[in-house]
Amino acid sequence: MNKWWILAVAFAAWVGLGCVLLRPRHAEAAFEAQPSRAPTRVVSMAPNLTEILFSLGLDESIVGVTRDSDYPPAAALKSTVGTFWQPNIEAVIALKPDLVMALDLEQQRGLTGRLTRMGYKCLTLDISTVDDLSAAISNVAAVTHRDVQAEQVLGSMKAKIAAIRNKAAGKDKVKVLWVVQREPLRVAGRNTFINELIELAGGENAIGKTFHVYPPIGGEQVIASAPQVIIEPDMTGGDLAGQRIQAISYWARYATVPAVADGRIHVIDGDLVSRLSPRLGDGIEIIAKCLHPEVFGE
Amino acid sequence: MVQQLLSPRVLLVRVVAAAVVLVVVMLLCALAGSESISLKTAFAGAHEGGSANPDYEILVHIRVPRVVLAAIVGAALAAAGVALQALLRNPLADPYILGISSGAGLGATLAIIGGFSWTLWGRSPVAIFAFAGAVGTVWLVWGIGRITGKFHITGLLLAGVVVNAFFSAIIMFLISIAKGQQLHATMFWLMGNMAEEDFFVLWIGAGCVAAGVISLYFLAPQLNAISFNPEDAKSMGIHVERVQLLAFTISAFVTAVAVSLSGLVGFVGLVVPHAVRLVLGPDHRQLLPIASICGAIFLVIADTVARVIVAPAQLPVGVVTAIIGGPFFLVLLVRYNRKVSWLR
Repeated sequence: MNKWWILAVAFAAWVGLGCVLLRPRHAEAAFEAQPSRAPTRVVSMAPNLTEILFSLGLDESIVGVTRDSDYPPAAALKSTVGTFWQPNIEAVIALKPDLVMALDLEQQRGLTGRLTRMGYKCLTLDISTVDDLSAAISNVAAVTHRDVQAEQVLGSMKAKIAAIRNKAAGKDKVKVLWVVQREPLRVAGRNTFINELIELAGGENAIGKTFHVYPPIGGEQVIASAPQVIIEPDMTGGDLAGQRIQAISYWARYATVPAVADGRIHVIDGDLVSRLSPRLGDGIEIIAKCLHPEVFGE
Repeated sequence: MVQQLLSPRVLLVRVVAAAVVLVVVMLLCALAGSESISLKTAFAGAHEGGSANPDYEILVHIRVPRVVLAAIVGAALAAAGVALQALLRNPLADPYILGISSGAGLGATLAIIGGFSWTLWGRSPVAIFAFAGAVGTVWLVWGIGRITGKFHITGLLLAGVVVNAFFSAIIMFLISIAKGQQLHATMFWLMGNMAEEDFFVLWIGAGCVAAGVISLYFLAPQLNAISFNPEDAKSMGIHVERVQLLAFTISAFVTAVAVSLSGLVGFVGLVVPHAVRLVLGPDHRQLLPIASICGAIFLVIADTVARVIVAPAQLPVGVVTAIIGGPFFLVLLVRYNRKVSWLR
């Protein structure tokens, strides 16, 4: 049994040595002490964060964006740091950022945790509702010293949303089925920001409260929910007219559903309505056009 | 008998040679990555010319920890695979066979969907839940196995299969109610998710795995006897049940450490032990150390491929271990055909 004791002692010594020499220290405190200047090398870890930064006029300060940041077109000229769900930490460090902006998602938490421990400054934002978006824009503006621009961006975004709301006010709420995936069928539930957008555009989610956030549903629910409009956001960045033809042939099997009977099936640009970005007003307008063509025009 | 064929000197030479190969592979793999870095700049230190030195940070804080992590996980899974194949006397055994994978997966999925953001000693809740899930599941399976008979291997295996299926069903249910982003994180974890870790975490992980591998090595002569024939082992004066319990506990612990560090990396624990056994024979005194080192080499290479091949994105390492490991193993199987028989 002698060798077992030696092993146990060696293991305890190893662990003890590690605790003494390598215990994780917290690097955050050092940063708070520094005088705050506007950052000059910003890396954005998500397409909507990129849009926020550009809308605040920070073109010059942005040094890196994720590969899926496709708006505004100037974003394509920046270096890329992986995708927002699979960030590349080496690429981030190579850009020598003085601010890394990330979303509060599991995949990004690992990245910001490691960067913070290495002494980089990270700003993590939770943007999952329309209100979060306004707060995030103000937050980014405060860190980057762009409060005036933020007021303009927020002002015009809120004005656009208010105008759409006013125009849709008094109209009957249109029941919408928001299809995120056709096979198997999955739709947006009530507890999503999509639901908020639908309501702002003068509609109502055809699906009631569900346990799932994006519930998978069967044909029975499609018929029972009797949507007046079916909307499919396109995530492939492809040809909307062609996809609409496909969608119509798919939905033809539910001929009794009002949306199908009236031909009110729309395929819309997914980027505008799946990103909480300063272009949100444009996204809501597109939805409003699908719901109330008589008010907003085709 | 096999025991006589292996002289301590031959064993030492082989272990040292394998360790040298491991070190060389780790150094080479640390030089590969999506960003090209210059070693000269990197060795200039953390603050070259007053400002932060990205080459140094990428090498020291990103690549070295990740390569070390891959080595630790690879060694752990291969050693646990060797031990479980011997204990269960089953060539299909791997570190996950008794439900560890689904238990750890369930823990990780719960943590991801729970969206916790605290950390404990620098570990994320995902890692901690995965470790707890892994240990809890092994204990559960072991308990069920005991009820079915005093160390009945079939009962143990069946308990493992059923617990695996049950927990997998719960994971699937959780995934079906998850949000898109959580779904993504979960899938990546379930396919093996290597990430850069703190040196402290690596240090402790390496200590646990090294202690586990050395303990299993201490048990190697008994494992040899048990894998030949448990009845004979008993008549040779070996406490078969005590050795089995000890080796099971150690393998489960080592696997749980590996899983909490990296998610479910498949294939290493199944294929590396077989490959080493095919080439060098079934003596566990040799098989355990050499298979651990080969597991480390294999996973370091696989993880480097995963990091580099679709750069700047990354593949889950489990995809690469199966794609490289499958054909490689088949080649070995054909080449060493005469040695295929499980117990020689």
